[in-house]
Amino acid sequence: MTPTGPVLWLFIVLVAPASGAILALIPHPRASEWVARIAAITTLAAALALLVTSATGRWGTYLGIDQLSDVFLVMVAGIYATSTWYSRRYLRAVHQPYLTASTYYALLGAFAFAMLATLVVTDLGLMWIGLEGTTIASALLIVLERKTTSVEAAWRYTIIASAGLTIALFALILLYSSTGTLDAFELAAAPPALSLPIEMAVALALVGYGTKIGLFPMHAWLPDAHSEAPSPVSAMFSGVLLPTALYAFVRVYRVLPSPAPVALSDLVLGFGLATALVAAFLLQRQRSFKRLLAYSSMEVMGLAITGIAIGGIALYGALILLVAHAFAKSAAFYCAGNVLQETGTTRIDEVHNLGRRLPWTGAAWVLSGFGVTGAPPFGTFLGELLIVVGALATGDIALAAVIVVAILVAFLGLNSQIGRMVFGGRGAEGSPAAGRSSEGGIAVAYLNVGVALALGVVSLPYLTDAIRAAASVLGGSVP
Amino acid sequence: MGVGILLTALYLQSESFVAPLIPAIALQSLVIAGLLGWLAWTQQSVDLAVVAGVVVVIRVVGIPWVLRHQIKSFRWKVREIHASHRVTGHALAAVSFAIIAWFVFEETLGPSFPSPSYALPFVLLIQGLLMLATRSNTLVQVIGYLEEENAIVYAAAIFASGFPLFVEVVVFLDVLGVVLVGIILSIQRDVTGTLEEGQEDALAG
Repeated sequence: MTPTGPVLWLFIVLVAPASGAILALIPHPRASEWVARIAAITTLAAALALLVTSATGRWGTYLGIDQLSDVFLVMVAGIYATSTWYSRRYLRAVHQPYLTASTYYALLGAFAFAMLATLVVTDLGLMWIGLEGTTIASALLIVLERKTTSVEAAWRYTIIASAGLTIALFALILLYSSTGTLDAFELAAAPPALSLPIEMAVALALVGYGTKIGLFPMHAWLPDAHSEAPSPVSAMFSGVLLPTALYAFVRVYRVLPSPAPVALSDLVLGFGLATALVAAFLLQRQRSFKRLLAYSSMEVMGLAITGIAIGGIALYGALILLVAHAFAKSAAFYCAGNVLQETGTTRIDEVHNLGRRLPWTGAAWVLSGFGVTGAPPFGTFLGELLIVVGALATGDIALAAVIVVAILVAFLGLNSQIGRMVFGGRGAEGSPAAGRSSEGGIAVAYLNVGVALALGVVSLPYLTDAIRAAASVLGGSVP
Repeated sequence: MGVGILLTALYLQSESFVAPLIPAIALQSLVIAGLLGWLAWTQQSVDLAVVAGVVVVIRVVGIPWVLRHQIKSFRWKVREIHASHRVTGHALAAVSFAIIAWFVFEETLGPSFPSPSYALPFVLLIQGLLMLATRSNTLVQVIGYLEEENAIVYAAAIFASGFPLFVEVVVFLDVLGVVLVGIILSIQRDVTGTLEEGQEDALAG
């Protein structure tokens, strides 16, 4: 590979979604759909090329990637591609959409571009701009279905996420005032001497970025936005937007010397545990299946940040969990889209007999439910297991016990609800074949569930190695 | 200037009608633009001068114009619902939070930032957050968001001189302010016909 190789792939990773977003604006739905699909597949191919070549390094003042970026790039590009593919089938069934297909695909491309840009810059200020860009691009996607509740959700998302990010920006200003630089790679290579402004900056960054990650109690926007957005967009929210915000926080967290001061790592741990526990219990009370998935994402983010705070092997587990969850959760949202369009409701108690009405979707729905809640042998199981092992390695049995409780409560809550929808039935509503038209696009759900499964069963070529390398970059230990 | 900014922040918390809040936030932005202009002059900084210009164009003129336009589009008098008892509580909470934020900043970061004026952006940030958290009227929430933006610009200007990408960040914040706020307010009006979260039937003046 010549030295220009990684630069070329990086260039494509950024230019493909950006140009796809612009070209999708052509006022011809079918053409903009294909433009979006080609852009998404090209982006994924370039991200995979970066992964396969283990591309790392920096180019110019602001562009740079390491193994952590490589893993997140593949994750974002993968879900962007499958969501774009699934969108066609979803859009066709939306009555009187607020956005035209061209605008929808343009915004979807812009949303992906903002996330990818966040992952390939070295400057914390630019990362912040990228993350704020995701708010601009994605807020309008939430109102696609022209419902009062969608508009309120979009507004809540905009105002809460932006308020949180303003706090994160305040944190960056504090950090800069103490270090004189915002270069994440430089700061990680040579952490500055600890001072109160730096510690306060990290704590404020946790609150600020935590708002976008969906940490308790700053999560108020998350269930509304995830449940009101069209399913392909919900898949991107849950699968990759929350991890992208987590990535931005991790870059700030790495400014601290290793090991991090106890007070700060305990603060991060506290937010993670509280989020996982609260989300696991709130999940039991949900009546909408899309909100159910949203709280499940929140629980996983809580577990991931707990793993990052524990460090060591738990950090490696957190990365596996994030990647496997992204693929499994996006599959779950594609299934949710099919179910919603077949039944016309998001209420769990109004959906029955999916196993007969939508057999392919029902099966994928059950599999993805297991996938997102860490059933063996999914990658999420491996990730959660390593987080528990990491907690036990610290000698803190209570910590491990709390994590296990959160995992079990979420597992039982989500899968029992899905099971009731798929297998429960007060008679067959509709003939077994009545819903076949709603099974479209389900292949991408199986594809993503397959990736989540493979991550737990086999050592995936390149991806598993990249996750190991990324964990090492962050100071974690790898088995 | 700092005291003037603080007074506008407290006034914003104590007013229940939306219309008077618009010139108040414009005035606060103007004072901050003046401060930026003065800093630009003394430090010979082009970045600060550009930011001062952006603040004047967008926060002093642009967004207030959009907000006034939004108010005119509605027949009802724009006021916080159940404002009479709520806003008094907001004002009391705002003053209390301002005092607490000031002391927290002085006790924790005071040694690193010796001038008392350094605490003001922090106080302003808390005030903006409080407004966002406690008010349900969309237009008032926009004003709370603008106050947060003002706090950020103020902070970057006075204790992080040379903050990289300063202009870009400010422009980005304002793009969000103008484009998104304008578009979502329009959609909200088209779809729900109200600017109050979940209170379509309870609009009162």
